[in-house]
Amino acid sequence: MSRFLKSPAVRSVARVVLATAAALLLGFIITWFVSDDPVGAYKALLLGPVSRLNRFGDWIEESITLTFLGLAVALVFKAEQFSLGQEGQMVLGALVSGAIALFVPLPAYLRIPLALLGAMVVGFLWGLIPGYLKAYLDANEIVSTLMLNVLAVKFYEYMLTYYIKPPNAGYTASDRFPVEGTLPTFFPPIPGLENLRQTFINQTNISIAIYLLVLAAIVVYYLMYRTPFGYELRMVGANIKFARYGGINTKRVIMLSMAISGILAGLAGAHLSMGIHRKLILNIQYGLGFEGIVVAILARNNPLMIPFSGLAYGYLRAGADVMERSSDVSREMVLVIQGIIILLVTAERILPMVQQRVRAHRGEGNGDEEAVQADASLEAGKGED
Amino acid sequence: MTNIVEMRNIVKVYPNGVVANDGVNFSVKRGEIHALVGENGAGKSTLMKILYGLERPTSGEILINGQPMQFKSPLDAIAAGIGMVHQNFMLVPSFTVAENIVLGMEPTRRGLIDKAEATRITEELSQRYGLYVQADAVVDSINVGMRQRVEILKVLYRGAEILILDEPTAVLTPQETQDLFRSVRTLVEQGKTVIFITHKLREVKEISDRVTVMRRGKVVGTVLTSEATREGLANMMVGREVLLSMDKPPQNRGDAVLKVRDLTYVSETGQAVLKDVMFNVHAGEILGVAGVEGNGQTELVEVLTGLRPATAGTATIDGYDILTGSPRNVREAGVAHIPEDRLTNGLALQATIDENLIVDRYYVPPFRKGLFIDQQVVVEQGERLIKEFDIRTPSGQVPVSSLSGGNMQKVIVAREFSAEPKLLIASQPTRGIDVGATEFVRQRLVQKRTEGTAVLLVTADLAEVMSLSDRIIVMYEGEITGVFPDAASVTEEELGLYMLGIKRKTLEEMEADL
Repeated sequence: MSRFLKSPAVRSVARVVLATAAALLLGFIITWFVSDDPVGAYKALLLGPVSRLNRFGDWIEESITLTFLGLAVALVFKAEQFSLGQEGQMVLGALVSGAIALFVPLPAYLRIPLALLGAMVVGFLWGLIPGYLKAYLDANEIVSTLMLNVLAVKFYEYMLTYYIKPPNAGYTASDRFPVEGTLPTFFPPIPGLENLRQTFINQTNISIAIYLLVLAAIVVYYLMYRTPFGYELRMVGANIKFARYGGINTKRVIMLSMAISGILAGLAGAHLSMGIHRKLILNIQYGLGFEGIVVAILARNNPLMIPFSGLAYGYLRAGADVMERSSDVSREMVLVIQGIIILLVTAERILPMVQQRVRAHRGEGNGDEEAVQADASLEAGKGED
Repeated sequence: MTNIVEMRNIVKVYPNGVVANDGVNFSVKRGEIHALVGENGAGKSTLMKILYGLERPTSGEILINGQPMQFKSPLDAIAAGIGMVHQNFMLVPSFTVAENIVLGMEPTRRGLIDKAEATRITEELSQRYGLYVQADAVVDSINVGMRQRVEILKVLYRGAEILILDEPTAVLTPQETQDLFRSVRTLVEQGKTVIFITHKLREVKEISDRVTVMRRGKVVGTVLTSEATREGLANMMVGREVLLSMDKPPQNRGDAVLKVRDLTYVSETGQAVLKDVMFNVHAGEILGVAGVEGNGQTELVEVLTGLRPATAGTATIDGYDILTGSPRNVREAGVAHIPEDRLTNGLALQATIDENLIVDRYYVPPFRKGLFIDQQVVVEQGERLIKEFDIRTPSGQVPVSSLSGGNMQKVIVAREFSAEPKLLIASQPTRGIDVGATEFVRQRLVQKRTEGTAVLLVTADLAEVMSLSDRIIVMYEGEITGVFPDAASVTEEELGLYMLGIKRKTLEEMEADL
């Protein structure tokens, strides 16, 4: 039993469950203070996303974007490159896919793949730039990607305002995409279920992006764990000096990790434009810029876990929307609750810390963290004491 | 004499179930030099961490001067008069010697640090204990031996009566080691007690009064040094017969594999670290590079393996200049490299053993199959090498960080040896690993050489360079200042004189032997 409880997988799940429970409890206490109907408000947060089909749709659509972004971040973080450029790559992905969806007169079966490809290519290129700057000119990727984000967003706004927006439109947005440029519904035309399919089409925008997503998660997993490039990526992330010593071209890996990450962020943009909004609007990236980081960290950069952490985080965000709309709790409070959950779940050391305190209290020694690493700890630790 | 330290029935079980100390009884008499020896993982570091308050025992008693003690942190241990000098120095490089010594307990005047007083304290301590230091020198600019004396003075300033020295000679030259031993004897004459942790049995014989041997968390025995032999101690440590001297089969020297000519390296800060270095390494020979650390050996190895760009010169293997290539080109030209710092360069600690074993070959068949890495081949190679190189691990799928130092080194040795190189560059191959693993690595090195591989051995361990090498060159300040074509006929003192730059040969004198 104690062996079971000590296994790392069980521990990490237990940690997440405990942290979530603690956060939800804290969240409820906060809600209690700020709401006249705390139970109702909290119910909206917890059950909102599954209370109606359209809300369910919002949840899934949001989760798809988050998962693409999470995959993008996981890939680049696995190489220990802290690229924050997903926002820019996503916006340009939306722009390019949107432009193709709007203006390239091809049938749907060519136009949609071309638009997706365009989004991937522009994401790749927009990731290649900071990758090159880091690898060959030693430019800090955090700074360069943040700068490139601003550039991309402003370029998007410029193109939208001056070239894509119809001249007579009253607000800054493109025309609605034609059917040939919209991602079709995820619901296959199964005989007998036409009504259900139509209901989904009417009330949600869940598109085939969800299949692309599953595919992407699997591809990223195989890329990371089964290919030579993935091996290089992980070794660069684990110890870049070791990678170089072993003969890996670390500069190339750094550059490509950022560029390939951009492909996924570009796809997130295509999903935004061709899946959710079905037109190009201002601030299409609103509130999404860095959310991929949260998703990736929740899943500990494991590509196969990212769809789940994307769904979980998407649920929280969708629930927050419902809570905001249907109760007297302000969006700000909702964000506080969200923040607490993320903080508790990502603070990986919290549980070990509590355990250590408890053990110290009982006088069983100080529960040295490194002791977990088997006998290496016997001789290790000279460096940090 | 009374026991100043008495540790009774110390048990330390880590939360993961590893028993590091299993009922250890350890006592030290006032005013003695007590050596504590054992292989990596024998539990001696844990025992000393418990004594210094860094770890708390699961059960057992500690008595200092007959008084039971409960150490919650090193602060308690320091208050009880225990001081520890760590293997890796914990000094602030940009501070002066005096500032480092008083750091944390600074003498103050009107709320400001009294530097004059700090200097006075330092000089007084230095004189009293015969530990020579320059109080006003910046630590960055002083040599390793003096840094160590600063560490010892720091501990003495805090009122230590019992000094724990953790492998103090690992970084010292023979001459510096002699200085240290003199200081240790002075300390004991002044009434201090010294616990001396070491791997080197020769030093145990030379400096200690008594010696305690640990193996697998238990004390094997405590003996009077005068009654012990090196072989006897080694057998106690390992639990079986150990070969301390290497029996080398006769040499079968082939053609020159590596030819280094006029190799120069100027660092980013503009210092000439390597100056016109020239030598050959032949097939079937071990060429030892002796020298005090920091005289260009590290840079020499890094330049030869493609990790640093050379400034001028050539180094050819079968006509191919490896100085022009990337680390991968160098490896593909037939060079394998056991790096000096295994944790920094040689391994990715979070990665598994299997993953660490393929870093130089994952991209070629059979490891690469089409677009993918063939996991089965990787695992099979892991199993084979773990067996062949006696890596103690439950499987190849555990992270390298879970291995002991000696087994980590075996992972590197397994990878580099199995690459079947023409030239093997081994840099400090046995540093910090236990007697058993050291013996293993040395035997394998000699075996490779006898099989016809060219071996370039860089080591700060004089005994190692002398017992393994066929030929020795000495590096001093980035130049080769001595060459000994027959390593067997060199004395330690002679080598030491060259290493310290007191004697040197000219290029003309050496040319025929390089």
